[in-house]
Amino acid sequence: MISDLRSGPPPREIVGDVCIVGTGPAGISLALELSKKGRRVVLLEGGGPVYEQDSQDLYRGQVTGHHHIDTANSRLRQFGGTSGHWTGMCAPLDPLDFEPRNDVPHHGWPITRADLDPFYARAQNYLDLGPFKYDFADWAAKLPAKPLPLDPGKVFTDVYQQSPPTRFAEKFHDAIRDDARIDCWLHANLTDIVLRDGSDVVESMTVSTLEGAQTMVRAKTFVIACGGIENARILLNSRKQRSAGIGNENDLVGRYYTDHMTIETSTVMFNEGVDTALYPEEIQVGGALLALGLKIHPDLVRRLHLNNNSAFLVAQHDSEIYDDDFRNYGWIAFSTMLKTFSRGHVPDRFAEHYCDVVDDLGAVATGVYRHAVRKVAPSSRASVFKIRQDAEQSPNPDSRVTLIEEKDALGFNRIALNWRITSDDLLKLRRTHEVIGAAIGAAGIGRLQIGIPETPDPEVAYSGYHHMGTTRMHADPRQGVVDADCRVHSVRNLYMAGSSTFTTGGCANPTLTVTALAIRLADHLAVTV
Amino acid sequence: MATFTRRALLGSAAVVAFGAVAYGGSRFGCAFVPRNHPDFFSLLDIAPDAPIARRIGERALELGSLPNDLPGFASALTERPLIRQALAEDCPTVRRTLVQDQCALDFAAQRTVIVDGWVLSETEASLCAARMLRPQQA
Ligand SMILES: Cc1cc2nc3c(=O)[nH]c(=O)nc-3n(C[C@H](O)[C@H](O)[C@H](O)COP(=O)(O)OP(=O)(O)OC[C@H]3O[C@@H](n4cnc5c(N)ncnc54)[C@H](O)[C@@H]3O)c2cc1C
Repeated sequence: MISDLRSGPPPREIVGDVCIVGTGPAGISLALELSKKGRRVVLLEGGGPVYEQDSQDLYRGQVTGHHHIDTANSRLRQFGGTSGHWTGMCAPLDPLDFEPRNDVPHHGWPITRADLDPFYARAQNYLDLGPFKYDFADWAAKLPAKPLPLDPGKVFTDVYQQSPPTRFAEKFHDAIRDDARIDCWLHANLTDIVLRDGSDVVESMTVSTLEGAQTMVRAKTFVIACGGIENARILLNSRKQRSAGIGNENDLVGRYYTDHMTIETSTVMFNEGVDTALYPEEIQVGGALLALGLKIHPDLVRRLHLNNNSAFLVAQHDSEIYDDDFRNYGWIAFSTMLKTFSRGHVPDRFAEHYCDVVDDLGAVATGVYRHAVRKVAPSSRASVFKIRQDAEQSPNPDSRVTLIEEKDALGFNRIALNWRITSDDLLKLRRTHEVIGAAIGAAGIGRLQIGIPETPDPEVAYSGYHHMGTTRMHADPRQGVVDADCRVHSVRNLYMAGSSTFTTGGCANPTLTVTALAIRLADHLAVTV
Repeated sequence: MATFTRRALLGSAAVVAFGAVAYGGSRFGCAFVPRNHPDFFSLLDIAPDAPIARRIGERALELGSLPNDLPGFASALTERPLIRQALAEDCPTVRRTLVQDQCALDFAAQRTVIVDGWVLSETEASLCAARMLRPQQA
């Protein structure tokens, strides 16, 4: 059932087994899984069913560190959360990402990749992905071309899958509305976490509309699933009973903020005749849409003290006909509408999609024109490529989210985001490109020119809009905010869901792991609640 | 003032004649002795005379980690087995392939240098650099 706290007088209280705050991929998948297991779920969403300026304004904050990032436009505060924005690239984290590493301080989760594998497999479905297969060998026989002949002990071909991208609001609205065990409330902003007096147990949560209509939610267990920045902001703002904020006894909440450094640099020139067909375009095969990149073998990553990275080849065509620079929101909305109409349906959120197209009409027209010309023009195969990646950063406690004086309409302090990009992060990426260049040279198929100078300039790096690490998972409460079950160390019935729990960022886009962790949490809560 | 005597003149002529015969004979004889006398300059033609290769050559010399004279390059390069083979090879295509294979071996053995951002094998960087040092042909 979906209700709106803005319409009619608020109930005196809302009661369930588990209260989940946030309806992004984390919150929705957790709610649906818990409901399947017979638990009564209260699902709270601060925003409305669609984009609303006053709700979105609550996300505004300051950027005090690296400036190629923003705090408001990179998230969506509405039903479905930021899945209304995401572009859908998916891959699981690598086993290496979970391991403690002597050469990288603060590296290592209290769980392994194998612990997550069964949940990754279940998460695929939520995100409309193919089978849980991310080894190149799983797909090789079905692919239309051969991989680059590189020494696999050094550089191998890495597999990502592309989600349509799944918009959680569209895909799961009806399921949630029709689910008798899910009590979903819109415009229900979490404004306070109330601990039972003198204890380490959450008794209730206070929720409020922007107009001030308030109610209280009681449950046995509470989960905050509000995104990588907001999860930390909520804990830091909960200072009535714990002066530093709930879960912040060791000054860890908000620290270790990490993002993927989206960087397009370095040039690969392949020799004439080298078959690169697998790399620059997505490939539809065996029920999945694949994107293939180049990854350094984990043994070499350890030996050379690198960070993890997957390098994608972006073709540099002489003719702009082959440029995909028109793919922005307008284009995505246009192709979504086209696909839905062609199946004989009217798209959900038609007005939103339509207006996105109108706003970006130039780009949409360019896209249509280029697609048409590509059909008739002789195909052009590029031999020069740029390398694009969402590169990993080493965990850094000084990269952080803190509160500032300014308050939002709900009385919550806004945040300052001090995203740090270190020279070390960039030099590790430079070294990574060097290894790729050497592998390409050793195969005799081309040469690579590194784009990151020895004195690197952080200006090359843009946020991947993957906010991670601010309530990191660690077995030791002095090193992490949540334990291996995502429970806040210092509170018995409070859990965090989402990428804020990531101990390391790896180089995989986060949402598949966010969803897998949410499903794992559901299984855990189903036996404990 | 010294005067040339007949004897001195004949003696000198004999020395010169002997020297000439010895030299000519040696040249003739040595033509049949297999030796490793690389035609180093012609190998440098494998590095293209393109602006990018010249720039790489200049930058490689600036690096300071490579030799700074032709004999230095010659001896460093002739240590590489496939370069030795290439020097003894007449067919330009085979020579080129041998040099490319040597570059690939360098990469695999991590004998690489970064010149102007390019990740290069030491062999190709050395060839580009040495080409810059080659005396200009008339
Ligand atoms: C442009 C863009 C592209 C992206 N592309 C990719 C990609 O290709 N692949 C990938 O894996 N990831 C991508 N991401 C990231 C992806 O969107 C996030 O990983 C994902 O949405 C996180 O899910 P979540 O449920 O943890 O948080 P969110 O989706 O952010 O959901 C949080 C929810 O909490 C609600 N909320 C917040 N505060 C409160 C409160 N106080 N009370 C009640 N409710 C509250 C919000 O309204 C929202 O519904 C992209 C993001 C952006 C912006």
